Amino acid sequence: MSAAPGTRLLLASVLVVATCGLVYELIAATMASYLLGDSVTQWSLVIGVYLSAMGLGSWLSKFVVKDLHARFVAVQLVIAVVGGLSAVALFYGYAYLASVRPLLFSILVIVGTMVGLEIPLLMRIVGDGQELKDTVARVLAFDYVGALLASLLFPLALLPHLGLVRTSLLCGLFNAAIALACARVFRAHLPRPRALLVQAALICLGLAGGLVFGGRLERLAERELYDAPVIFSEKTAYQRLSITRSGDDIRLYIDGNLQFASSDEHRYHEALVHPALAGVNPRRALVLGGGDGLAVRELLKYSALERVDLVDLDPGMTRLFGRDPLLVRINHGSLSDPRVHVHNADAMRWLEEHVRTGSEVYDVAVVDLPDPNNFSLGKLYTGSFYRLLRRALSPAGVGVVQATSPYLAPRSFWCVVKTLAAAELHPRPYHAHVPSFGDWGFVLVSPAPRPEPTRLADVPLRFLDDALLPTLFVFPRDQRPPEVDTNRLNDQLLVHYYEEDLRALPGRGGRG
Amino acid sequence: MKRREFLGATAGTVASAACGPGQHSPPLSEFVGPDPERGHHLREGTWREGPVHETIHTEVAIVGGGAAGSAAAWRLRRAGLGDVHLFELEDDVGGTARGGELPRSRHPLGAHYLPTPPPGCLALERLLEELGVILGRDARGRPEYAPSAIAAAPLERHFGRGRWYEGLYPAAGETADEAAQWARWHAHLRDLDGRRGADGRPLFAIPVARSSAELRHLDAVSFAAYLDDLGLVSERLRWALDYACRDDYGCTLAQTSAFAGLHHFLARGLEETRGGFLLTWPEGNARLVRGMLERADLGDRLHRGAAVVAVDPHAGELRVHRPADGRRLRVHARAILWAAPRFVLGRLLVGADPLPAGALTYAPWLVASVDVRTAPRGIGARLAWDNVPLAGPSLGYVVATHGESVDARRPGAVLTYYEPLCGDGPAELAAQRQRLLAGDLSTWSDHVVAALAAMHPGIASEISRIAVTRWGHAMIRPVPGLLFGESLARARAPIGRLRPCAADVAGLPLFEEAFYQGCGAALAALADLGRNAPDALADELPA
Repeated sequence: MSAAPGTRLLLASVLVVATCGLVYELIAATMASYLLGDSVTQWSLVIGVYLSAMGLGSWLSKFVVKDLHARFVAVQLVIAVVGGLSAVALFYGYAYLASVRPLLFSILVIVGTMVGLEIPLLMRIVGDGQELKDTVARVLAFDYVGALLASLLFPLALLPHLGLVRTSLLCGLFNAAIALACARVFRAHLPRPRALLVQAALICLGLAGGLVFGGRLERLAERELYDAPVIFSEKTAYQRLSITRSGDDIRLYIDGNLQFASSDEHRYHEALVHPALAGVNPRRALVLGGGDGLAVRELLKYSALERVDLVDLDPGMTRLFGRDPLLVRINHGSLSDPRVHVHNADAMRWLEEHVRTGSEVYDVAVVDLPDPNNFSLGKLYTGSFYRLLRRALSPAGVGVVQATSPYLAPRSFWCVVKTLAAAELHPRPYHAHVPSFGDWGFVLVSPAPRPEPTRLADVPLRFLDDALLPTLFVFPRDQRPPEVDTNRLNDQLLVHYYEEDLRALPGRGGRG
Repeated sequence: MKRREFLGATAGTVASAACGPGQHSPPLSEFVGPDPERGHHLREGTWREGPVHETIHTEVAIVGGGAAGSAAAWRLRRAGLGDVHLFELEDDVGGTARGGELPRSRHPLGAHYLPTPPPGCLALERLLEELGVILGRDARGRPEYAPSAIAAAPLERHFGRGRWYEGLYPAAGETADEAAQWARWHAHLRDLDGRRGADGRPLFAIPVARSSAELRHLDAVSFAAYLDDLGLVSERLRWALDYACRDDYGCTLAQTSAFAGLHHFLARGLEETRGGFLLTWPEGNARLVRGMLERADLGDRLHRGAAVVAVDPHAGELRVHRPADGRRLRVHARAILWAAPRFVLGRLLVGADPLPAGALTYAPWLVASVDVRTAPRGIGARLAWDNVPLAGPSLGYVVATHGESVDARRPGAVLTYYEPLCGDGPAELAAQRQRLLAGDLSTWSDHVVAALAAMHPGIASEISRIAVTRWGHAMIRPVPGLLFGESLARARAPIGRLRPCAADVAGLPLFEEAFYQGCGAALAALADLGRNAPDALADELPA
């Protein structure tokens, strides 16, 4: 049984089509479980939808009666484009859409239908002039071998070496290449061979270009990926909140940036709150940011505390940390404490209004905001903001500011310190080692100069003690302040410092 | 309602019925701001004669509810004088610092920001304190400003060769020589910065009348000639400085006096070292005018839509015509503060104006605010507060919604487009003014959309509303010879009981000048009335 060159090409097509088809399915399932969490549900939904879409495609194939070759090439091209760009589309959809599910299932249905349509078309083209039993045997054999190939290649070679984005682009390129080859070999059978050839060539070029620049796309996209299974993910009006769980370790990510890991967040939050309160038993406390309620949990350890005002932009965040049983276990239900008043507002505006209306001042303020990676956040690190902060504090009050990492982002950290000094807040920089973030920096502030704290209050602590406390204020030789300017509302140098600091890092570090 | 012609309102309805969802109807446009009809009536004297329905006796009558008139009213109230009437020609106060409102946001119709004042502007700081713009002072006594009023980064970007760049100096592709010229210009400014003359006064002061005599001779030459003398001929540098002149004064580099040009860069201290901010609000400086008038608490003594049609400065008498109901008032005042443009006074005076007609020249401006469904972006530098194209006569657009709180999170934006209509002499200016006022609504809204589309190709379909303001006489032009010349001295000289006190008689079209003119005239009027103002500050008194 000798096969014509056309037949050999078609059988190779079956192999490629089957392999790529399954890879698209695997990509969709992987991304669904990465991004949406609950992998069992995601996998079974993806497989079910994809297979039923294939069934739909097979059934639809009976309506294709003429120009089989042209239809086959066109189907290949649709798969090449939709499947090839599926990973990129899902990543960006995840970042920008309220829900990524409609996009995910649209991609699955389109690719599944096209793959389902393509095998019967191939059988009819290959089978022209052959016996049915031979055709079915050959085509299905290649089809199933392709499935095996995909299931081995995807986890062992493609995903580890190329990543999701480039894997999908590569498969798209294979589909487009098959389309191009078929359009050439069967040009006699095509009504408009030239148009199809040009289309196929253009799509090949586009996908190849994507592959070349895929590394960059991938890096951007990988920010959205996590080391552990996602158990919750929600896009609020302001940001995407994702929670992962690996064993007992629960992690919160905001827009892909780690905010805390339950295994070591006590280090971060003890270091954030208690040095400021050494020698102070606060009555009124202000927390800016910190919608996870973890800083509040530490504050509530102080017996004299009468009121905490927590200002966090995102109601989605405070709602989540006020209700979710798993998270409430971590913050000890701090957000439901009757002394705690949650305000969902822009911290700058809230503070300005507070100052303007001459409202009561605070004994302690904890500024626990996300890192200044954009202008909206950078505003909350400016001299103008700190001057408001100073006015919101009582004359004997204290405050503390989360100030990025003095190791990973030294210019940012010392810029915050200098800005606080210019705002007459008498900054005392210190740092602590938080394994999941690295070396992390904070700054004690007060309207009046205060001595360095030496004795912690008598509250239950797991990380800090009086012996460790003074060492936090020591910076080693390789962490001396660099030359920096203050961060002003009208120039926001800090946002530039932060971008440059992170760009200078070999890997991505810190809280993003 | 004549000037509120809604363009394409019916066409829009038909179109939206015909098109499917997702198709946007064409933008609704309207003229807002000063009514050219009223100016026309004043010029032609058609409202001059007629029966008087009511007579008012008052201590002080203020004519003009812009920055200067509001400052005068505020200042008089501060000194305890309550018997003050203010007459504003338009239906809304503000003058060129008027504000408007589109569905998405309030927006300026003209003046839209105020730089934080340099040290020594005590009266202005006192106002900003009263208005809550200054929240308090730091340990060294320097004001601390409300962040919500500060124009935040990113402040400026410019558009050229298809992309946006940060800042307002077109550095991309400059030669070493051009870079050296730019550096030399900054060195020159640093050299002059903070210096005082032999008379102990700052070389460039706010208000400008307090400037030292030392460099006043620079007012005789044009800024362009001054730069020529310094050998600063780089086109990039000249563009940046020409932009600054057009933006502040409605004049090109060649039309601006060198003193005025330098004043822009130096009067508040150098931008890079002064540590100041630009204060702004969605509705622009209308916020300040409203704040002053609220504090002046004039009640029904604030007359909007009241055209002063005749002025007898020696008798202290005004005739006022209210176009809305045709009522006419006779006003007897012991002092009249003329806080309206000075050129208008010449047409209304009983008797001859000591100031020759045409002695002061004014720049016409086109300003338009557009309500866009999505905020513009563009390739390169991100959307800034001020967005300026390198090409064309326009100054680009300012984002009225720039300072919105992040918790607002509303889509869309309001952009305010600015274009001064520069002209060389009185004839060219008259032609520009004629063109501005003759153009109908569709002409100008199309013009604005085209100018915006040159920066943002797809923007036309994003615009839902356009509010166009035509300013026939937007601002005094500080041409060479004006600031310290005979004309200006005559323009601001009192006539009988009347004191001219709008920004134009200061010579520079700045809020600060209007404010100090208004305060100074108020104090002078109080003195005329035999009252004293124990809270007068040094910088409010005559220089």
